Amino acid sequence: MKAARTAYPIRWRVMDALEAVAGILWPRFFRAGTPYLMLAPAILLVWLLVLGLWQMADASFRTLDTNTFLLSEDYSLANYRRAVTESLFITVAGRSLIGAIIVTVLTLIVSFPYAYVMVRTPSAALRKFLLIALFLPFFIGQVVRAYGWLIILGNQGMVNEAFGLIGIAPMRLLYNYPAVLFGLVQYMMPFAVLMLAPALTAIPEEIEAAAGSLGADWVRTFRHVVLPMARPGFVGAGLVVLTLSLPDFAIPAMLGGGSQDFIANAIYDQFFRTSDQGLGATLALLLVAVGSLLVGLVFTLFGAGTLAMGRAKA
Amino acid sequence: MSGNRGKTIVLWIFVIFGLVMLSAPTLVVLGASFTSGNIITFPPDGFSLKWYAKIAGASDLRGAFLRSLVVASICTVIAVPAGTLAGIALSKYAVRMEKTIQVYLLLPFTIPLIGSGIGLMLVLGNAGMLGQLWPVGLACCVINLPFMIWAVTASASGLDPDLELAAANLGAPPLQTFLHVTLPAVTPGIITGALLMFILALNEFLVSLLLVDAHIVTLPVQIYNSIRSIITPDLAAISVVFIACAAAAIFLLDRLVGLDIFLKSK
Repeated sequence: MKAARTAYPIRWRVMDALEAVAGILWPRFFRAGTPYLMLAPAILLVWLLVLGLWQMADASFRTLDTNTFLLSEDYSLANYRRAVTESLFITVAGRSLIGAIIVTVLTLIVSFPYAYVMVRTPSAALRKFLLIALFLPFFIGQVVRAYGWLIILGNQGMVNEAFGLIGIAPMRLLYNYPAVLFGLVQYMMPFAVLMLAPALTAIPEEIEAAAGSLGADWVRTFRHVVLPMARPGFVGAGLVVLTLSLPDFAIPAMLGGGSQDFIANAIYDQFFRTSDQGLGATLALLLVAVGSLLVGLVFTLFGAGTLAMGRAKA
Repeated sequence: MSGNRGKTIVLWIFVIFGLVMLSAPTLVVLGASFTSGNIITFPPDGFSLKWYAKIAGASDLRGAFLRSLVVASICTVIAVPAGTLAGIALSKYAVRMEKTIQVYLLLPFTIPLIGSGIGLMLVLGNAGMLGQLWPVGLACCVINLPFMIWAVTASASGLDPDLELAAANLGAPPLQTFLHVTLPAVTPGIITGALLMFILALNEFLVSLLLVDAHIVTLPVQIYNSIRSIITPDLAAISVVFIACAAAAIFLLDRLVGLDIFLKSK
């Protein structure tokens, strides 16, 4: 008996029991359904968002009764009419949209050389250094980073103090549009580099060498070989930067100082200052719609790029 | 090869600009936290640890930090199984309506954060669950789930389907095959994803801001609420907590899977 017990260790018994339980809960003929069972938890989690969209849609058709501060029972399109006609929202929407596009272009310009050097450098130490310099801000979060910029650029900040030492009058560097855009570029750069890098790794170095030996200088090699081949990376990076910077809240709030609000700040104000949930929900839904339209447009024009989740594709 | 020198110079101008932009806020926050003055000045007033002593004694800050840790843990605990299974399913099987499911699972990413946050606030609020910490963790998990799935699908390419067939052929039942063959193959992805989920939830600001009330503020919200027009060094000292956490996560990531994993092409 004793020998038999050691020959069939407890771990095996546990595994057998688990297999038996699994077999009862999920019999063989369910096998075809296994991937769907595996997807179920994730689908359920995301379902919360769908529910959220649904409740926002419901609220968006109700107007705020200013006497009771409750949402009306009957549905109307009044909130949508206000959202597309009031000049405040049009200004804010234009500011965010133009800002997001400028930020996307600038971020891609700054990120491409960084990603290129990081991928191509023969020095493992330099690569690691560049990766750490990239991940540190990525992992620190927006509030702390924006706080850092407040210290550097504030009216009594480092730059102005340094200016004072060499006799330049202090300048107002914060709370304007360029400051917000600059903060957003800094916030987005790690995302962009991480999206670009895999696409650049996929380009064999020999192709660049071949272009060079065929007489192309490095500018032409970049223009006609590297940049076109890195397109999936640019699509992925551009999409991420655009969709994350358009609805950003923290950077416009902290570096814009209330004067440079983006859509997200306007939505927040509707919920927590004006307490007009209906109008806030309307603005949020319109933002979701614009965002999805942009993503859909890019997907149909360029494909999912490096954003694809599924099985490996060419 | 003067052409090559031109290339190097141009590339490096951009790289140095990028490095300065990326690192400046971190370095400045670090430096400011050690000042001995009562406000942040340049050049600094001198070296002291008094701001660290001050924040160590502040119970509201300690509480906020602990709450952030709880939120990040809840987020990770939910996200790891859900994201791992989904990632394996997407990368291993020919799923019907694969495109639709992919687009659906990308929703947390494509729906702007303010939209997701408000939606979750309404759903959780109507269900009467606000005012606690675990819904905040759940919300952080939902909005960052694509990162977990990406991490797993990216490393699932290292899984040879023949290995699973071989295990089955050797008599391993399905669960055993999964535990001993499939799971180890995607472990780097799981570790990467788990670290990402933890650190993103630890830093999550906007969704926290929408879901917490005054009793359960998380640390990023606490910092945001404390920022006034005059910048005092105690906030810098708290911010260093985040810098330390980020550094620890990077160290772990590098040790366990290697940072180079992010450079691999799919």
